[in-house]
Amino acid sequence: MMFQDKLINSHPYIKYIIVTAVFFLVLLIDLQFIIFTSRTINLLIRVVYFGIMALGFNMLLGYAGQISLGHAAYMGLGAYLTAYFSNHMGWNFMIILLLSGLIPMALGIILGLVALRMERLYLAIATLGLGVTGQMIFQEWRAFTRGFSGIRLERPEILGFAFNNSRHFLMLITVILLLVIILTYNFSRSRTGRALSAMRDSEYASQSLGISLFKYKLLAFAASSFYVGIAGSLYAYAERYVHPSTWGVELSLDMLAMVVIGGLASIGGSLVGAGFLVLVPRLTAATPVLADITNMNYILTGLAMILVIKYMPYGIYTTIDLKLIQPYLMGRSGENFRYQDLKKESDS
Amino acid sequence: MSVLKIEALRKTFGGLVAVDDLNFAVPRGSIYGLIGPNGAGKTTVFNIITRFYQPDSGRILFHDGQEKVDLLDYRVHEIIKLGVARTFQNVELFNNMTVMENMLAGGHTALETNFFQEVFRLPGFGKKEKEARRKAREVLDFLNLSGRENQRASAQAYGMQKLLELGRILMTDPEIMLLDEPSAGMNNRETGHLASLLKSIQQEFEITIFLVEHDMSLVMNICDRITAINFGRKIFEGSPEEIQSSEAVQEAYLGSEDE
Repeated sequence: MMFQDKLINSHPYIKYIIVTAVFFLVLLIDLQFIIFTSRTINLLIRVVYFGIMALGFNMLLGYAGQISLGHAAYMGLGAYLTAYFSNHMGWNFMIILLLSGLIPMALGIILGLVALRMERLYLAIATLGLGVTGQMIFQEWRAFTRGFSGIRLERPEILGFAFNNSRHFLMLITVILLLVIILTYNFSRSRTGRALSAMRDSEYASQSLGISLFKYKLLAFAASSFYVGIAGSLYAYAERYVHPSTWGVELSLDMLAMVVIGGLASIGGSLVGAGFLVLVPRLTAATPVLADITNMNYILTGLAMILVIKYMPYGIYTTIDLKLIQPYLMGRSGENFRYQDLKKESDS
Repeated sequence: MSVLKIEALRKTFGGLVAVDDLNFAVPRGSIYGLIGPNGAGKTTVFNIITRFYQPDSGRILFHDGQEKVDLLDYRVHEIIKLGVARTFQNVELFNNMTVMENMLAGGHTALETNFFQEVFRLPGFGKKEKEARRKAREVLDFLNLSGRENQRASAQAYGMQKLLELGRILMTDPEIMLLDEPSAGMNNRETGHLASLLKSIQQEFEITIFLVEHDMSLVMNICDRITAINFGRKIFEGSPEEIQSSEAVQEAYLGSEDE
């Protein structure tokens, strides 16, 4: 108990590193003995890139308290940029990945400007409009996107090593996910991250404390657009095919569902939410009766959202964390002790 | 020497004149009270000074000891850097954040880490962050709130939330604190504690305090000077004793005898 205590709290992100290390070990064993089917590997790849996407959306909705239903278009932009750069420019993987984040980030400022004028429902509707416009552009701008024919591309290559094996690719994007998690953790527990959360909880108080709504709303939208752009890039590399129908409102609503079901303003919550939304369609398809009902996965996702909001308002991950993990680690009631790692930081 | 000087301030909402040709000056280092019946325009005055409202005319001169500026030249999030901090009538805490995070968000302008330092935890980040946390714990200690650092702000009792809001602006090292009904919702014991606390903030931290308050016993107890307003106009200004014996003030609160 004492040892675990020390280990968990000695370094704030040790739990993410441990989980990733265990996951890696499993993948290495799998690489040797081929335990998982390729369907399972593809499923895990989806969880990872959707996880990055959900982290980006959580930064917006969970931390900054802003909403966007147009983020699917930004993810699509990341995917198309990656397809374009890798097919026509043949640039290095890391450069393409970074550009596929930075260009949507610059355009994300447009959403931020909208958010300065509107709030909540109105903001949702306006960003929905922007998202639909984006999808239309993907359909019509054939020179860039090849319209409904879609674009094919190859898996990335680093220093001559091609990640054609899906198992290798999964390892690569797991490392990227870990980096994104650490950056997000650092961000959320710092001046800028606190400014976003302050803005979410009280715009009046945050302004009177010197937090510029102009600066931090733009920043929230830019940062989350960067994340979903990166996720879009990894989507393109993973699926090796980009098609305009992917970037519709459904994807934006999926982001919302992931974050709400997993847990608002929580890194683990984003990943659990992504896992949930990837697994539900797969599980329904595998269940005899449910598989015959059209759109059963949408029904189940909607049902899950209602149940989570009613019974676990902080989301699945945060509720489990609060009720089971934290009390176990600290050996006392989890009530009011949501931010254990923060506590240890402040004690040191 | 006045730290804050209001000159010919006027604010209308449509046809309603909320603040009408108001003049007064808050002396440096004092505890200054603004009183008046409900709807007299007290909070409106606060909202104009802290730049949430734009007045129709007038000037708000702020003198921090070195230079004199007109607060109307600054935007709402900029005045904190000059040293003007405020609390709100209905507590405006960051409810989903911990007590410590509330304090650190209060120190937003004082904490000078930049985005890249934070995200990559570059050198310089740890030292500044630690310094901010140390200061936050000092202030929490002063307010008798230590031990609650990691509890959510919304889990605190109302009186504690009021104190936390006070602590949050102490993090900004203000020249002047504008307190909008600091004792609202507090019981007698808590109000007594608040009175001594405000006195010691005035003396130890050398911060000018400007407050709007309904609790007359608190106002008469701690204020050095008081302005009474009604319908946005100043009806009397003076020491607590003078205010108590002023007919104009009694009339505003209780109505005149002829009626």
